Amino acid sequence: MKPPASRSSPAAAFREWRLYLFVLPSLFLVALFAYFPAASAIYHSLFDWQGGEAKQYVAWANFNRAWSDRVLWDSFVTVAFLVGFNLVKMLPSIALAVVIHRLRSERWQYLYRVLLVVPMLVPGLVTLFIWKFYLDPNLGLLNRLLDATGLKAALVGLDRLAGWGVFAEGVPIGWLSQPQLVLPSLFLWGFPWIGAVGVLIYLAGLQAIGTEVYEAAELDGIGPVGKFFYIELPLILTQVRLNLTLLIISTLQGYGLQLLLLGDTGGPGGRGMTPGLWMYNRAFIAGEFGYACAIGLILFGFILALSLVNNRYVRTRR
Amino acid sequence: MNTSGSTPAAFRRPSDWTKHLFILLLLGIELLPLYMMVQVSLKDNAAFIRNPWLPSSPADWQWENWVHAARLVLPYVSNSLFVAVTGTMLTLALALAGAYFFARSRLPFSRLLWAAFMVLMMLPGIANIVPLFSLLKEMSLLNTLYALVLVGVAGGQAFNLFVLRGFIEDLPRDLFEAAEIDGAGHFQQLVHVVVPMSASILGTLAILAFLNKWNEFLLPLIILRDRELFTIGVGLIYLDGEYVKQWGQIMAAYLFAALPLLILFAFTMRLFVRGLSQGAIKG
Repeated sequence: MKPPASRSSPAAAFREWRLYLFVLPSLFLVALFAYFPAASAIYHSLFDWQGGEAKQYVAWANFNRAWSDRVLWDSFVTVAFLVGFNLVKMLPSIALAVVIHRLRSERWQYLYRVLLVVPMLVPGLVTLFIWKFYLDPNLGLLNRLLDATGLKAALVGLDRLAGWGVFAEGVPIGWLSQPQLVLPSLFLWGFPWIGAVGVLIYLAGLQAIGTEVYEAAELDGIGPVGKFFYIELPLILTQVRLNLTLLIISTLQGYGLQLLLLGDTGGPGGRGMTPGLWMYNRAFIAGEFGYACAIGLILFGFILALSLVNNRYVRTRR
Repeated sequence: MNTSGSTPAAFRRPSDWTKHLFILLLLGIELLPLYMMVQVSLKDNAAFIRNPWLPSSPADWQWENWVHAARLVLPYVSNSLFVAVTGTMLTLALALAGAYFFARSRLPFSRLLWAAFMVLMMLPGIANIVPLFSLLKEMSLLNTLYALVLVGVAGGQAFNLFVLRGFIEDLPRDLFEAAEIDGAGHFQQLVHVVVPMSASILGTLAILAFLNKWNEFLLPLIILRDRELFTIGVGLIYLDGEYVKQWGQIMAAYLFAALPLLILFAFTMRLFVRGLSQGAIKG
């Protein structure tokens, strides 16, 4: 850390008051569009409020209602599954970065880095809709692929053995319309789960490893797996942890994917309902803004607690 | 080629093709949506159902799909361009000025202010969306593109401040001292010292901000009502509901939605890949 240009004293503030003008616009926007709504959410969570002028103070009624709201509890279970899925989904990006890094040819490394970025040309929403179309029961590529490779027959056979009642001969698989398949579809979604920006940042971390480190490891007879755990992982660990934290936060509060894939009721049987989506549903479908604020705050408190635990035990290196 | 056999390079040679295979397989699946988008956009439904995987022969290409999609989607694209371009420029301009404040001084309250920004990065904005809606209603900003710009700029501050502050702190101090001796005030130092030195990181951040804003669909979905104001996100969501049958037209519309990104990347791909690969944004 470099010594600051001016010392933190009232005199300095008096002399350099113009500097405050530099931060004022950011501060103003953040106060207006981030802090004010947050305060307003806390305030309105105590009201029966339809979003208009009229509102009635109900004290803790919204929170009591949330406590006995089965949909909300189930949505937390669903989102716990989604967090688990997303942890698994982090692995391919790490693997890809390591494999690209281990290529000998710099030329190929560069080419792959560029190719990685190309899928980002497709807007996220378009990728989402194309995936929705992959999962379409009749036209979708996933069902066609399963039919063509005979995997469908295997699934039907498994189903008969295990008695799931999900897959049947001659019936197209409704990935987004059968309640039992909603979570598996959300797991499959986005395969092979490569995040281009993440891979590029991991690669940047891996660049710090000199070839002599690999040579020394090879002389010591350390295999490819050992190299990953002893040499490569430590270098990208900070970034992996940071990504992990951000991923958990964004998964817990996410609802855009579920809204577009499954609709505002969370799809068949509400199996894709997340707390965020339930909040959206209560506010913009049912018009229960006060209750929606309470749901938002409960989720907020939950994530805050998790972040604090995370900061304590999973310290990131600065 | 290399017959000496004992160099470390030769050690790793035999298995390299499996690595290439692994990488190409993953990248191939990642690129599939782009491929599907382009080839299906030139088919009618009959051709698509007969043969979903391979491109049809050029003689059968249905250019009407593109014409139809262009008419439908280009107004949405221009709305999105307005939001993304003004939003990106404002986000970076404000964040750069703010980052200068934090990097160049330790004035009273600056630690507190910094904490106030950084908290936003780690904390969820989920509780905000409902009151934000009613705030925008009170400001008469519902159903306007300005609301998207302003909320987007506010939302981008924490991350960009974080990256830019670190960057400005790492600039050589002599530069600032020399400028001060020449009588440059803080604003002049920002314009004549910081901006020229940070072109590359600003480029990378601008692309990330632009992508973010281009992909935004939840806020526009909630606050936009008039079809003339739809950004590309809302437009595509409505399209998904309406034209369920004509896959060719839908894919052509997707292609046009991606067009500005294709153009942007054609010019800046090198900068973007380099920026991220040098670890410009370490988080």
